[in-house]
Amino acid sequence: MYVVLVYDMEAERTQKMLKIGRRYLTHVQNSVLEGEITEGDLPKLRGEIEDLLKPGESVILYELSSDTLLDRTVYGDDPAEDSRFL
Amino acid sequence: MDRNYHVFSAGRLERQDDTLRLVTEDGEKKYIPVENAEAVFLHGQIDYNTRLLSFLNKHGVAVHVFGWKDYYAGSLMPKRGQTSGQTVVEQVRAYDHPDRRLKLAKAIVEGSIHNMRTNVTYYAGRGHDFDEVIEDIDAAGERLESVTDVNEAMGTEATARKAYYSTFDAILPEGFRLDRREYNPPPNELNSLISFGNSLVYANCVSAIRATALDPTISYLHEPGERRYSLSLDLADLFKPVLADRVLFRLVNRNQIGLEDFETELGSCLLTERGRKTYGKAFEETLERTVEHPRLNRKVSYQYLMRIEAYKLKKHLLTGEPYEPFKRWW
Repeated sequence: MYVVLVYDMEAERTQKMLKIGRRYLTHVQNSVLEGEITEGDLPKLRGEIEDLLKPGESVILYELSSDTLLDRTVYGDDPAEDSRFL
Repeated sequence: MDRNYHVFSAGRLERQDDTLRLVTEDGEKKYIPVENAEAVFLHGQIDYNTRLLSFLNKHGVAVHVFGWKDYYAGSLMPKRGQTSGQTVVEQVRAYDHPDRRLKLAKAIVEGSIHNMRTNVTYYAGRGHDFDEVIEDIDAAGERLESVTDVNEAMGTEATARKAYYSTFDAILPEGFRLDRREYNPPPNELNSLISFGNSLVYANCVSAIRATALDPTISYLHEPGERRYSLSLDLADLFKPVLADRVLFRLVNRNQIGLEDFETELGSCLLTERGRKTYGKAFEETLERTVEHPRLNRKVSYQYLMRIEAYKLKKHLLTGEPYEPFKRWW
């Protein structure tokens, strides 16, 4: 399963969301993460997001059943390039 | 599915924000999502501390270290999730029982010969004349049926492998010559590629065995060695033709790896960092490739096939269900 996660948090709390996201996904831009996630990890991630959020903050999770359905075009440098080969 | 991460640069791997972070020598920071990591392969010079190790242990992530000249240096394995004294007892019993050991050793050689043969017939179908080689491989396969000890089984495997390697020169372009298989250190480009691929297969088999309660040091075809995880050598033999060799053929024939991706010095020839990266990438893509499994009735990745092999072996040891070696069926 491929997901794109975008979030909008209180300015001093953005780090908290980023910290959770980085454990599962690749950080590609400010407040945006994406990547492959297993069906088992997805509910874990969802739970952690729900526990963290305060009123007025939001997280949007876009899900695709696989990255083959994804048409992804990057202009400029791709921050997710070679994310498995460091 | 959990993935392998490869670190080629030099730097420091650390625990940061409850996940893994690599800080390279020039200060660049890169994160590895710990929740979907199966293993981290270290090819460069990496510092780490015990805090990182306990963290990896907690998340069940293995570290495979490749040292000087790409040589597999060892693995830092997470604590066993599976322990079963019974499995180990049965594993040793099967090793100690000459008939049972021979049967397992023969099964592994049978699978290994089958998988080498599939590669040869594939390339025979693409305009190469490999009739003689196929005859030699088949002859080795027939001889296997009548062997009476493990050494002989090893011998037939070696005969088949020799015939198999003789096709490499024809399959690969000018410049890539095997002459003969040598390692520690590999003397030429092709030997070096084979070694690198085999060591990746070996490390992945180590991870697969670790997922079961099997003891990686008790093996059937190879003699239980003192330093190596010899059970991993047994399993790796089945997968080398399907994983390592196919990746090698593809990359070299499509010119994605060329002679300029090697460094030669003092009788050894090794892949450059760029070469290892190219190979590693193609290898990981292959591990993720899936195929319909006839008995499980679902798609499984090539990586999972290694896991299945360990499960089958364990099941055989515990229940006596016949062990059918992995044979490429597609």
